[in-house]
Amino acid sequence: MTAFSPIMRQLACLRSLAKPQSSISSQLGRRSITTSYTPKSEPVPLPNKLPKQFISQLPERLQPAPGPKKVKVYPPPASARNACKDPVGAVAESQMAILDPKGERKALFDYRRNPRSVKVGDILRVTFKNGDPFSGVCLSIRLRGVDTSFLLRNELTRVGVEMWVKAFSPNVNSVEIVQRTEKRKRRARLYYMRQPKHDMRSVENIVTNYLRQKSALSGQRGRGQQQRQKRR
Amino acid sequence: MIQLKTMLNCIDNSGAAVVECVNVLKKQRAATVGDRIVVVVQKQRNFGPDTANNSGIANKVRRGDIRHAVVVRARKEMQRSDGSIVKFDDNACVLINKSGDPIGTRMNGVVATELRGKQWSKILSLAPMHV
Repeated sequence: MTAFSPIMRQLACLRSLAKPQSSISSQLGRRSITTSYTPKSEPVPLPNKLPKQFISQLPERLQPAPGPKKVKVYPPPASARNACKDPVGAVAESQMAILDPKGERKALFDYRRNPRSVKVGDILRVTFKNGDPFSGVCLSIRLRGVDTSFLLRNELTRVGVEMWVKAFSPNVNSVEIVQRTEKRKRRARLYYMRQPKHDMRSVENIVTNYLRQKSALSGQRGRGQQQRQKRR
Repeated sequence: MIQLKTMLNCIDNSGAAVVECVNVLKKQRAATVGDRIVVVVQKQRNFGPDTANNSGIANKVRRGDIRHAVVVRARKEMQRSDGSIVKFDDNACVLINKSGDPIGTRMNGVVATELRGKQWSKILSLAPMHV
């Protein structure tokens, strides 16, 4: 059987030749039909003068366009940036004008520009609107525009007290320099003065001395004015 | 920031010198000035051997007593409504009884003004100075 099969295959090959020609040609013919090209029928052009009442019946894409669709363009809103370049600065400036119209307080704390300003290590005395004063060594000054503040440290009844005071606060009536530092401090922040080794302890006696001197001076001045008035 | 185990100075003449916080009342956070806390007296103030026997200046509290107290000074800085910040160098308290009256009759030491807004004006008036 194994010897027989190749012969059978050859015969099978021949079989296709033996097929009737008509069936092959019919296959070819069918194939040609499927690939035949028929040009697409051209759309019927719309009649030139279509009555207006029919136009609405046409599909939308065939309706004669009334020109490009108009999109309403609004002008951009006025830029706030052009109106005010630096709003934060403007607000700060206006606040400053209210809180410190003469600029004295600003000059008092602007230690970068004003050589006669408060320096760290100075002893300051602050009086508040409600009347109670607070005095202490200035440990640091924070220059932040309207939010400028300074840190005072003192010892009251043997307890260290520290207070950050806002320089432009309306609660602050006055800031006086009681005593300037003898030597320029070589630090911007004297936080080391919290350590017992460097602590100045109480500055109350220095402040009372200063107040006594001040009252004496102002008292003399007051008397002088009174004498002058009497002479008149 | 006074919490469990914080040691505070007692600045009244009730007889306690150092107390330890064991509870912060009406608050789930650390106590600060004006808050009521529960304390244990850890160290007594001795008024001298001769005065100790006198009933006049006898200590009203003893070591190990559990008392209520009001914080009057705190190391933690506190900000006020005007933007200023106040801090003290120690934590201190004043012993009070259950109804809120101070046990001692005198106080020595500065206290914070924040007590005024928290119905502790009696303590504030006893204090020699307030900031």
